[in-house]
Amino acid sequence: MSTKPIDPIIPPVAATAKPVVETKAPLPKILMLGWEFPPVINGGLGVACHDLCIALSKYAQVTMIIPKSNPDFVVKNLNLIGMNTIDTKTLRNIGHTTSYKKVKQVHFIDTHLNPYYNGNNPGNQPLDLQSQYLKTIQIGNETAEVFHIDDLYGGDVIEKVTVFGKLAAKLALSLDFDVIHAHDWMTMIAGMEIKRQTGKPLVMHIHSLEVDRGGPNSKGWVYQMEKNGMEYADVLMPVSNFTGHIIHDYYQIPWSKIHTCHNGIRPVTPFKSDKLFKEKMVLFVGRLTRQKGPEYFVDIAERVLEYNQDVRFVMAGTGEYFNPLLERAASRGIAHRFHLTGFLNLDKVRQLLSIADVYVMPSVSEPFGLSAVEAVQFGVPAVISKQSGVSEVLSGSLKFDFWDINRAAEYILALLQDNVLHEKVCEDAFKDLENISWDHASQTVIDGYTKYGLLKEVVSS
Amino acid sequence: MPSVCFYFQVHQPFRLKRYSFFDIGKDHFYEDDDKNKSVLDKVSEKCYLKTNRKMLDLINRHKGKFKITYSISGTAIEQFEKYRPDVLQSFVDLSKTGCVEFLSETYYHSLSFIYSKDEFRRQVEMHREKIKQHFGQTPKVFRNTELIYSNELASYIEKMGYKGILCEGVDRLLNGRTPNFLYQPAGSLKIKAFLKNYSLSDDVAFRFSDRNWAEWPLQADTFASWVHKIAGNGEVLNLFMDYETFGEHQWEETGIFEFLDHLPTEIMKHPDFDFKTLSEAIDSYKVRDIYDAPDYISWADAERDLSAWLSNSMEKEAMKRIYALEEKVIKSENQDLIEVWGKLQTSDHFYYMCTKFWSDGDVHKYFSPYDSPYDAYIYYMNALADFETTIEEYYKDQRQAKKLSKKKETVE
Repeated sequence: MSTKPIDPIIPPVAATAKPVVETKAPLPKILMLGWEFPPVINGGLGVACHDLCIALSKYAQVTMIIPKSNPDFVVKNLNLIGMNTIDTKTLRNIGHTTSYKKVKQVHFIDTHLNPYYNGNNPGNQPLDLQSQYLKTIQIGNETAEVFHIDDLYGGDVIEKVTVFGKLAAKLALSLDFDVIHAHDWMTMIAGMEIKRQTGKPLVMHIHSLEVDRGGPNSKGWVYQMEKNGMEYADVLMPVSNFTGHIIHDYYQIPWSKIHTCHNGIRPVTPFKSDKLFKEKMVLFVGRLTRQKGPEYFVDIAERVLEYNQDVRFVMAGTGEYFNPLLERAASRGIAHRFHLTGFLNLDKVRQLLSIADVYVMPSVSEPFGLSAVEAVQFGVPAVISKQSGVSEVLSGSLKFDFWDINRAAEYILALLQDNVLHEKVCEDAFKDLENISWDHASQTVIDGYTKYGLLKEVVSS
Repeated sequence: MPSVCFYFQVHQPFRLKRYSFFDIGKDHFYEDDDKNKSVLDKVSEKCYLKTNRKMLDLINRHKGKFKITYSISGTAIEQFEKYRPDVLQSFVDLSKTGCVEFLSETYYHSLSFIYSKDEFRRQVEMHREKIKQHFGQTPKVFRNTELIYSNELASYIEKMGYKGILCEGVDRLLNGRTPNFLYQPAGSLKIKAFLKNYSLSDDVAFRFSDRNWAEWPLQADTFASWVHKIAGNGEVLNLFMDYETFGEHQWEETGIFEFLDHLPTEIMKHPDFDFKTLSEAIDSYKVRDIYDAPDYISWADAERDLSAWLSNSMEKEAMKRIYALEEKVIKSENQDLIEVWGKLQTSDHFYYMCTKFWSDGDVHKYFSPYDSPYDAYIYYMNALADFETTIEEYYKDQRQAKKLSKKKETVE
């Protein structure tokens, strides 16, 4: 999936948002560190960061540092700084560059890494500093040139992550803020460095982890960075309890530092379209990677079709499993009822949602799973794996363990032939939607700051 | 002289297994035998045996002055017969003291009155026989499933020959009056209604172990002093609750058995107070006013209506489908079909499908053997689909058998 522009028009924040209560205390100042950001996005992270920032700006003053920004893309109430727009000479004049002790000794291995594709992830290889480091980055002269390159995840992503960390840390010295709020591993070096230099509390918002992407045995340098970063952070805000458990179980972080903030979703105006074929339609939307469990979707389809021939299964998305999935479907003899669409843009996905009868998300490890909520917005009942964060907020859904093909097939068959059940699940899910908003999410973030005493200085001053 | 009337509901449903879509047409047994046995074993050890022993001890200690009333559902008795005859025997022992009364109800603990009067009557009669068979009593007082009640029910029950009926003392119907008298159901002539005093009943059944409750820990003498307050404005104090309150809902560690142990003594310290079975109370007291319940009420949930079983589309659909089978099932005169149909009517199946406050993890969730109300509905409907085909198969076989015998006749 290449970097693609999205509609820069910002929709209104969730309709349920309450007006800000006037208080005498000054709004807390948050320094956000992001990676993807509209209009430059790759996965859900950019959208999530964007929507969270907008909602948070009602409760806080938000400054967001990102690697790349588009000067034409202005967000109200948000001070957005793109590294690609910074003159490094200005940066060099900021502060006294004394404490880069750790960073300047960082060694780099040459790697092409994309945090969202994980076929043969070099990140899973053990880190051997002795033999593998190729260059050491010098402080001072390098520019933010790396961020003019199109692809945030291509090239030497480690270099990008580190340069971003150093430049952001310099920049931060010129800014006024109470809390550092970093998103995922790409901004962890930056977050840690800023905390080290300023002593300000560090919050890490966890949208996705190496253990989700690479499986429970992930032990590469991304994993190490995540572990170090989370140990160094003051508070971790995973997007679900499910991810909270991974942080605790696979990174050995104490529960006392973990504060779950479920994602919100942008409201949409759903529509229905004419069906393309007479059969019922069961839909999967997502990247075709291990993490999303696409092969289970084929197995489920096969099981359903044994009992009900009048169903078509549609997979929207692309990824390294594309060809294997085609072969799997063909070898099971269900190719006539199984369709892979390849990559689809948002409009096309919505078009599919408007004619789908059942949505299936068999994810193996899904920190949240916004696509299931999008299905629900379109009145499509969701059959989702229990190994997902969204299952915690969507009581109006049918839940199965990702490996439990029979259970999933049973649910799909029931939804396809029982209108009472179909309508009831949708009705309950619509009720859930009332509580899934970015305003709600940002309030939870602020609650976290307060609960952990991160805003102490603000209150006392 | 006011009387305390203890009434306990004893009920266990035949829970269904996760009857899969893929089982339809292949497997005709829907119950979760293992689950039913293990729940019964657990409750027997924690509640039934211990509490029955305590009750027998109290009756002996107070030389017959301590009286109690039970309603045991037909499905519970069947499970005792099947898995725990020792528990059944301990109830028989209690019945022999002469201080224990057994009530009538629907055999399958069902909502049949709402859907079919014929089926309702069949189940009440079936249950009456069962009680007679084990306890040698013919019940004279009726209580419907989960205290579901209405004027119409009271009048119907009166015509069946009962002299008393139980119901919830609902605030909106009492309208400021006390539940502590016998009432005459609106539209009935002779039958007397017992109204549950939910405040004092729930102090024991729900609040007893609540550490956030101002009265925690509740002692028998405190509770007795509340009971004594009705003197002068009450004749019957109706403490109605699940029998499983003792030891199961309120664990032994909460001190519930010590509480029970001291309660009769504390209550009878007041010379005006005694204990009566419901039939004794009917003979001792007159009705004081009319209780008018034009719509159904019950003792379930905060709403005290039918919403615990019939508030969402899944419950209504499942209920509609099961009662739509009545004619075919009854006409078949096939005992197996009739029995399976009866068990599928048990109210618990519909209770598990309830989605009220479900996300908050309420009491429905506590009792449900399923992960979600959807599962409860899906597995029930799968079993029902198989049952429907079983009925069709049965009739097909009958027709073929007839054809065959006709052929034989013509040949001969």
